[in-house]
Amino acid sequence: MISGLKILLQQKKAVAGLIIIAALCLMALFAPIIAPGAPSARVGRSHQPPTVEHVFGTTKMGRDVYTQFVWGSRTSLAVGFATGIAITIVGTAIGLVAGYAGGRTDAALDLATNAVLVIPNIPLLILLASFAGTVGPLAIMAIIALTSWPWGARMTRSQTMALRNRDFVIAARMIGEPAWRVLFVELLPNLLPLIGINLVGSIIYAVVAQTTLEYLGFGDPLQVTWGTMLYNAQNSSAIILGAWWDIGAPATGIALIGLGLALVNFTFDEIANPQLRSGPALTRWLRLNRQRNRSLGGA
Amino acid sequence: MYISSRRLGVYAVALGFAIVMNFTVPRLMPGSPVDAMIAQLGPRATPAAVEAIKARFGAVEAPIAAQFLDYLKGLATLDLGVSVKYYPQTVTEVLARSTLWTLFLVVTAITFSLVVGTLLGAIAAWRRGGRFDTVVSPFSVVMIAVPPVIIALTALFVFGVSLRWFPVGYAYDPNLDPGINFTFAGSVFYHAILPVLTLSPYLIGEFQTTMRSSMISVLGEDYVTMGRAKGLTAATVMLGYGARNAMLPVLTNLALMLGAVFGGSIVTEIVFNYPGLGLTLFTASVARDYPVIQGQLLLMTLATLGANLLVDIVYGVIDPRLKDGSA
Repeated sequence: MISGLKILLQQKKAVAGLIIIAALCLMALFAPIIAPGAPSARVGRSHQPPTVEHVFGTTKMGRDVYTQFVWGSRTSLAVGFATGIAITIVGTAIGLVAGYAGGRTDAALDLATNAVLVIPNIPLLILLASFAGTVGPLAIMAIIALTSWPWGARMTRSQTMALRNRDFVIAARMIGEPAWRVLFVELLPNLLPLIGINLVGSIIYAVVAQTTLEYLGFGDPLQVTWGTMLYNAQNSSAIILGAWWDIGAPATGIALIGLGLALVNFTFDEIANPQLRSGPALTRWLRLNRQRNRSLGGA
Repeated sequence: MYISSRRLGVYAVALGFAIVMNFTVPRLMPGSPVDAMIAQLGPRATPAAVEAIKARFGAVEAPIAAQFLDYLKGLATLDLGVSVKYYPQTVTEVLARSTLWTLFLVVTAITFSLVVGTLLGAIAAWRRGGRFDTVVSPFSVVMIAVPPVIIALTALFVFGVSLRWFPVGYAYDPNLDPGINFTFAGSVFYHAILPVLTLSPYLIGEFQTTMRSSMISVLGEDYVTMGRAKGLTAATVMLGYGARNAMLPVLTNLALMLGAVFGGSIVTEIVFNYPGLGLTLFTASVARDYPVIQGQLLLMTLATLGANLLVDIVYGVIDPRLKDGSA
C-alpha cells in the first residue's frame, strides 16, 4: 500500500492530477472563507461580464457566478465522490462474490452484470429520474449507483477468479477460515490496485452522469451545483446571448475534475499494467530495442 | 457465424430487465403519474385516451399479473401507447420521426472516431514513449473524463455563436424542402458537423486507449518480429500485422460503449437542438410524457442489443478461434 503510494507520487502526471483534485476540494471546504455571501443572493444586474467586483460576472438573475462556482463545487464534488465510492462498493462486492463462489451464483451474477452493462445507462437514468420528479442529490446518487456497477463487477470478478485457486487462498480454506474471512482478509487486499482503478473510473463516471442529469433539469433547481448552474445558464440562453462566463465557470470546474481524475487514472493503469508504461526507463529500453531491430534489418 | 447461447441469454435478460423496469417504475413511484398525464392532456382528454393511459400505468382494477400480460401483449404488437404531449399521435409515430437522425449522428460519429482513434492508438503504440505517444495518450484519457455536455457547450459557443462557422441548431436549413438532392444533402452534412465533432472526442479517447494497450501487446508477438525481419515496410508491419490483430479488443469495447454513445447523443442533440431521439426524450421528460420516455428506453435498449449482436457476428468472422466456444 505504502509502496504503491510511493510509485504514484513519482509520476508527474499523477501528482499534477492529485494537485488539481486537492485544490478543488480545498476550495469546496473553505467556501465560506473564500466566497463569503450567499450563492443565491442577487448582487448585481443581469448578465454582467466579469469585473473586479464580480470576477466571474453575474448570471441572468444577477447572482454572482464566482460565489456560485465556489459553493457549487461542494455538492458536485461530494456527490461525485460519494457516488463513485458507492458504485465501487457495489461492483466490488458483486464481482468478489461471483468470482469466489463460482457455480450457479456466479452464473446468475455474471448474467445480471452483463445484462445491466448493455442497457443504455442515461436513458435508464432519465426514466427513473423523470418518474421520481425533480430529485435531490441523494436520489441522484442512488440512481447512478444502482445502474453503473457492472464495469467494476466484471473487472473484480475476473481478477478474483484468477486468485481463487492460488495456494494462499486454498491454504486459508483448508485451515477452516470462514468464507467472509477468505474474501475480506485474503482476497480483498490483493485486489486493492484494481479497486483503485475502479474507484477513480467510477468517480469520473459519477461526475459525468450527475452533470448530465442536472443539465437535463432533473436536479433540484434550488441547490447550487455545477450541473444546475449549467442548467440555469442554458435556460437563460446564456450562450446565444454571449454570456460565456455563465456557462464557462461551471464547465471549467467539471472539466477540471475530469482532467485531475483522468491524470490519476492514467497513472493507475500504468502501475497496474507495466506494459503500458512510458518514462525514462522505457525510453532507454526502446532505444536498445530499436538498435536491435536495426541490426535485424527491420524498421 | 457463431454466437454463443450465453450471449443470447444476456440479451434476453437485458431486454426483460428494461421491460420490467418500464412496467414497475411507474407503479412504484409516489404520486400518480396517471393524474399528471390526464392533466397534461387537458381538453384533449377523451374517455378513450384516459382509458388507454390508465390501463398502461396500472390505475385499473386488475391483478398485477394480468396487467403485465396485457402490457407484454401491447409490446408484441408494437403498441407503445399514445404520446401525452403529441396526443393523438402514438409513441411509435413520435419515435419513428427522430430515430433516423440519431442513427445518422451516432453511426457517423462512431465511424469517424473508429478510424481516427484506432490510427492514433496504433501510432502511439508503434512509437511508444515517443513525443506523439506522450502527448496523445494522456490527452485521450482526459477526453474520456470530460462530460459530453461540456464539449457540446464549448463547441456551440466557439464555433457556432462566436465564429459563426457552423449552424447552431436543426438538422438542415429550415428553408429547404427535404429531398434527395445535393443542396439538401450538403445542408444535412453541414448541420451534422458540430454534433458529430462533439460526440467524437469521447469515442476517439476510448478507441485510442484500447487500441494502444492492445497494440502494445500484439507488437510483442513473434510474428511481428518476423515481419520486420522479412524486411517489410514499417507501414505493412504496423497496419497489416499489428493493427489488424489489435482491433479485436477495440470491437469488444465498441459494443460496450454503445450505451454511453446514446447518452452522449441525447445531450448533444439537446445542446444543438438536433431533431433526434435525444431531443424527443428531453421534450418528453419536460412534459412528463411518460409513454414516450418508456418507449425511448425500450428502443435504445433494442438498438444497443442489436448493435452488440452485430459486433458478436463480426467478431466471429474476424476471429475464427471463437468458434470453439471458449469465449
